Amino acid sequence: MAVSHLLDEQEDDTPNGGYHMMVTIEDGSRPQTTPTGRPHPSPVTSSGDQVDDSKSTRLARGFSKALRKNQDYIRIPVSRSIDSLLPAEWWKTGIAFIWAAFNLVLTTVMITVVHERVPDKSISPPLPDKFFDYVPRFEWAFSVTEVNGMILVALWFIQWLFLKHRAIVGRRFFFLQGMLYLYRMVTMYITTLPVPSMHMHCAPKLYGDSQGKIKRVLQLVSGGGLSITGSHLMCGDFLYSGHTVMLTLTFLFIQEYSPRSLLWRCYHLICWFLSAMGVIFILIAHEHYSLDVVVAYFITSRLFYWYHTMANNRTLRGSTHNYLNRIWWNRVFNFLEKNVKTTVPCSFSWPLLPPSAVFKNPCKSYSIVQSAQD
Amino acid sequence: MKEVRLWTASDVSDWLTDEGLQEYTDAFQDVDGPALLRLSEEDFKASPLSLVSGDSGRHLLERIKTLLLTSHMKAHKNNNNNENGHTVITLANGSVSNGKIHNGIPKNGLHPEPVRILIPQPPEQERTPYPTEWFKTGVAFLYALFCFLTTTVVISVVHERVPPKEESPPLPDKFFDLFDRVEWAFSICEINGMLLVGLWFMQWLLLKHRSIIGRRFFFIVGTLYLYRCMTMYVTTLPVPGMHFKCSPKIFGDWEAQSRRVMKMMAGGGLSITGSHSLCGDYLYSGHTVMLTLTYLFIKEYSPRRFWWYPWICWCLSAVGIFCILLAHDHYTIDVLLAYFITTRLFWWYHTMANQQALKEISTGNLFSRVWWFYPFQYFESNVRGIVPRNYQLPFLFRTVTCTRVKYSKLDSRES
Repeated sequence: MAVSHLLDEQEDDTPNGGYHMMVTIEDGSRPQTTPTGRPHPSPVTSSGDQVDDSKSTRLARGFSKALRKNQDYIRIPVSRSIDSLLPAEWWKTGIAFIWAAFNLVLTTVMITVVHERVPDKSISPPLPDKFFDYVPRFEWAFSVTEVNGMILVALWFIQWLFLKHRAIVGRRFFFLQGMLYLYRMVTMYITTLPVPSMHMHCAPKLYGDSQGKIKRVLQLVSGGGLSITGSHLMCGDFLYSGHTVMLTLTFLFIQEYSPRSLLWRCYHLICWFLSAMGVIFILIAHEHYSLDVVVAYFITSRLFYWYHTMANNRTLRGSTHNYLNRIWWNRVFNFLEKNVKTTVPCSFSWPLLPPSAVFKNPCKSYSIVQSAQD
Repeated sequence: MKEVRLWTASDVSDWLTDEGLQEYTDAFQDVDGPALLRLSEEDFKASPLSLVSGDSGRHLLERIKTLLLTSHMKAHKNNNNNENGHTVITLANGSVSNGKIHNGIPKNGLHPEPVRILIPQPPEQERTPYPTEWFKTGVAFLYALFCFLTTTVVISVVHERVPPKEESPPLPDKFFDLFDRVEWAFSICEINGMLLVGLWFMQWLLLKHRSIIGRRFFFIVGTLYLYRCMTMYVTTLPVPGMHFKCSPKIFGDWEAQSRRVMKMMAGGGLSITGSHSLCGDYLYSGHTVMLTLTYLFIKEYSPRRFWWYPWICWCLSAVGIFCILLAHDHYTIDVLLAYFITTRLFWWYHTMANQQALKEISTGNLFSRVWWFYPFQYFESNVRGIVPRNYQLPFLFRTVTCTRVKYSKLDSRES
């Protein structure tokens, strides 16, 4: 008797997923199995009953017993479901969240530093701006912007909660937000623009008073940088506009990760309207130069499109002729999106319960057959 | 055509020559028409025919059969001619050439003069994956010219709005805090810029697919200057240094303004040529754009053998950009933004051009949402694949016949 290949259940994680196990038993005798999978207590293999009392027979007997035990069922490999193409990997989302939080805090510190360098209104008057020439200032406009921003962020948050692949999408949102705030830090710091309008009241400068500065940082962070909460007292963070970034980014994400039916398109239109109004009202309130808003919109949209095109097209990732790889955060991108093998589909699920737990009926489980959630 | 039965030995040998079966002419020297018809496979098994024929005469026998058929058909047709009114096919000129034409019908279907079969040549875009299409390059060139002109006009307009140095002092800038001003640095920058543009131009002349690459350069440069117009116009930054001497403002005098525009265009906007006397064009820096873009194009389309060449250009470019800041001629933000936008646009455009999948509008292709997607499609729709770095002397220097060197990197023929 020759038992050539033994049971070796290897599960490889190859990308063409799931084709693995080969149980080939070359011994001529196989116990008959009934459809239920239990072996017949019928004439056992002739091989086992050979009167040859050598070691090899005993070994063979042991093998055949082992074979018989696991010959209850034969596993038919099924190609992997979409869940393995889009693994959750919450820890990566956690890292992205830490990155975003870190950048937010760093931006706040930078605003505090830049505040000290802003030239006084009397020395450096507001720069000439085309929009300001045509449109006078309205006081209440900035509150409208901030309310719009808060509504959009809330809408996006609710939508995100109901997404099925919220880990992946959340990761992307945090990464992009962190990146945009990083860029913002750099542009704020290197050249300091004067205040856009004479109405702005900047908090007094604290030359060297570290404690006061730290208190300001905490105040800004806790208020989210909004004027409504009274935390936006510092000046100098003009290029480029963080409010525009949030408005644009939330709108782009809302649009990207929702269905394209007619009803949803109306919803997109409403969100677009909120976003556009928010941006225009920043200018009407004379809180930022037009340049700040234009540059912020440009950088946000380009970064968003870039990231998502790279993520959606696997062919781009390894190719040498792909210039997107030359971007400096390419490695971080690969780290975050390495296991995401396809475009994230737009599907929703309840946020709190794990999907399988809801639908699995415990009464119907087959204990011998392993469940698919292996 | 004579009936086969009436053929003489010379007719038979003529026919064999026509059919391309010259190898049998010697063996069939005294074979006439009827003997030809009587040939069968057995004859080919015996010598001398077995020595001559490679396939035991199968081919020849087939030709004889065909010949028999055609002669029967023709005979039939001739007989039916008067009843059915079929016309006999005659040649237009009715010429006779070496005795092969009888009754106007050529023997064996041979036409005396060649018949031209028209094969429609596929349009250029199907013949080659990199069609030249100089028209599109011309359009891109006009677009770039238009953008340059617009930029110059906008600079002229913005100049009127720049606040004077006394009112609006230079803004605080980190680089200016660290490095003091060096006077001659801006000339270095401009010299580097001119060198790079010159090098790129020469390289472009030597490229084989210069129409496609030229198109890309013009389009990208035009778009960058268009963006620059916008950023310059909306918000006007004050002069970066007290050393600036801005020309006096001409309020509303259109003639003088247009003359200024002309002067600037003629000088290329460089200080060296004396045409850069207008202020206000700070965000973002056009010099950085040219330095960066020419370097990117040089690197992209230069041969891999000369690895030191892109490195030299990189040094020129980096030194040039550093000198802009050293001369306190632009804020750091201007330079940074210019570098960012140039590189992103270049990479974006080339990624889209190199991947067929990205040239179509789809939900997975977010690149198609840019505003210049349709012009891009117009320019690059017929370019299939990545443009190879092939070199070819420009038309005037190309010799018609390749002289001594047969194989070289230079491509001398039109393909």
